[in-house]
Amino acid sequence: MAANCVRFAASLLGKGVNGASPTNPVTLQLYRQICGTSALRRKNLAAAGPEKFTPEFIQKQIEEFEIGKRHLANMMGEDPENFNQEDIDRSIAYLFPSGLFEKKARPLMKHPDEIFPKQRAVQWGPDRRPFHFLFYTGKQSYYSLMHELYGKVLNIEKHQDRLRAKGLFSTETKQISLGTSRWLTKEELEELLVETISTHDYDRFIQLMERMLSMAYSSLEEEFILRHRQQLEAQTMHQVVPPLQKDDKGVDFSTAEGKRKTSKSSVVVRDGGSGSITINGEDYLHYFPVLQDREQLMFPLQFTGLLGRFDLECTVSGGGRSSQAGALRLAISRALLSFVSEGEGEAMRQAGLLTPDPRVRERKKPGQEGARRKFTWKKR
Amino acid sequence: MAASVSGLLKPWTPRVLLVRWSRYNPYYLEPEVRKEAYSRPESELSPEEKEQRQLKTLRPIKAAPNAVTSSAFDNPVLSKFINMMMKDGNKVLAREIMMQTLENIKKKQVEKYHKAADGTKEEIECNPYAIFHQALENCKPVVGLASIQKGGKYYQVPIPLTDNRRRFFAMKWMITECRENKHRRTHMYEKLSQELLAAFEKEGNVIKKKHEMHKMAEANRAYAHYRWW
Repeated sequence: MAANCVRFAASLLGKGVNGASPTNPVTLQLYRQICGTSALRRKNLAAAGPEKFTPEFIQKQIEEFEIGKRHLANMMGEDPENFNQEDIDRSIAYLFPSGLFEKKARPLMKHPDEIFPKQRAVQWGPDRRPFHFLFYTGKQSYYSLMHELYGKVLNIEKHQDRLRAKGLFSTETKQISLGTSRWLTKEELEELLVETISTHDYDRFIQLMERMLSMAYSSLEEEFILRHRQQLEAQTMHQVVPPLQKDDKGVDFSTAEGKRKTSKSSVVVRDGGSGSITINGEDYLHYFPVLQDREQLMFPLQFTGLLGRFDLECTVSGGGRSSQAGALRLAISRALLSFVSEGEGEAMRQAGLLTPDPRVRERKKPGQEGARRKFTWKKR
Repeated sequence: MAASVSGLLKPWTPRVLLVRWSRYNPYYLEPEVRKEAYSRPESELSPEEKEQRQLKTLRPIKAAPNAVTSSAFDNPVLSKFINMMMKDGNKVLAREIMMQTLENIKKKQVEKYHKAADGTKEEIECNPYAIFHQALENCKPVVGLASIQKGGKYYQVPIPLTDNRRRFFAMKWMITECRENKHRRTHMYEKLSQELLAAFEKEGNVIKKKHEMHKMAEANRAYAHYRWW
């Protein structure tokens, strides 16, 4: 039987006592018996919501992190002043080697700002009145953003009306140069506002922004608009070009690797001149008797027009004949990047030569015969 | 578009598994393999093409498929036909049959060429690829039939076909014809070359099938208004 503790609640009666005045308050203490079990007094963890951290706690964590970083640097024998995050990761991986597959379960030491989710400071003062006038809407940052945005729209319209009254309104004004940018996504907007918004709210926001963009004199609020757009960078920036090396005889060569399904390949492309191809020590005609595979080897060379110029030394293992050919094609294209100009490299990327093919064998599922094939359906 | 671009470039499984999905994120664009598309200068392009080019620089591109190259000998229609002829993934055999067919066509045409009188020599087409393309063109139906339910009954309604659908019909009829209506001892390539040459001259069983499809469409012309798209 759970022990039933009987708690006594004391309550002070502030009024209702005849003859009580502010100078001589009469305090009457009444005790009420509250019976309950320990189960009732247990905290409802789910109702509390996500864990909240006070700014003081986060500050303490940051101080501890800084001190710990210096200790770690001293332990590793490195300079505590210039110890950056990569060095921290390297040291932790050295001191606490972990074979766990789940990367998030491994030992981690990062700045507290990256670990603890961003939270807003308490929104009300000591008198328990909220600071922001839109606090009671529940989504104060979002509504204040919309309010500000609409204010700017009205501002632009007023400006346009004034110009129209003077007769100076013209549609050929300086347009905002958006370049290659896109609106912030819902996740990015949430990050900006430190508050969750629904898809409906996000759509409304984008609608109003588009409306503002469509107005002729939107260049007045250019800075505000650009703050909510994200620059799209060209994909060529992500291209990793293997370095061009020179061997003893002064011949340029470069190495690259490629993968496809379960095949791995490595290719050394030499600027020799005869156009011979050796795979795992054999001639390519013997290794790939099928024409389609040889065509795949030739594809990057033919595309860049450098067919007879290079000597290829390839090694490949794993997979079947088609996936080995695909792995070799990727390795050759990557190696050719160092011999070819940037424009041609971009052309190769757009031809699909530099993307590793992500298609792999789909697993068999339980209750089915194969990956997709189901068992024969029997009516009874 | 996802929050981070780096998340989009990884091999992807959709959060809700659809029946037809691919390992590529829908953000990826199709590759353009032909070399000529990259050598056109800026001035020749229309605004849509310029926009398309701009988009291609910003988005990741899928890998080119295994059977496709940028060489002049690469023929998408021929590749599609070989894939349709393939059984159990035996691409080597299907390609072999196709090459033998083309060789056979060439042999027959060259024989005809040498036997022909001087005046008619120029009219004989010797290029097997040209014959293949022309034969398929001749086999493509113009209208197709769709089974539409109206008032409890199913009617065969004539509908316009897309290009891909027409090409599919032509190839399917050709392959089924060659597999079924041949003598047990004739090889596939032999029968295929006969059918292709016949289709080139607008004779043969496949052309007959196309005409039957057209006749059915003509006969069911009264139900054409049942189509709502």
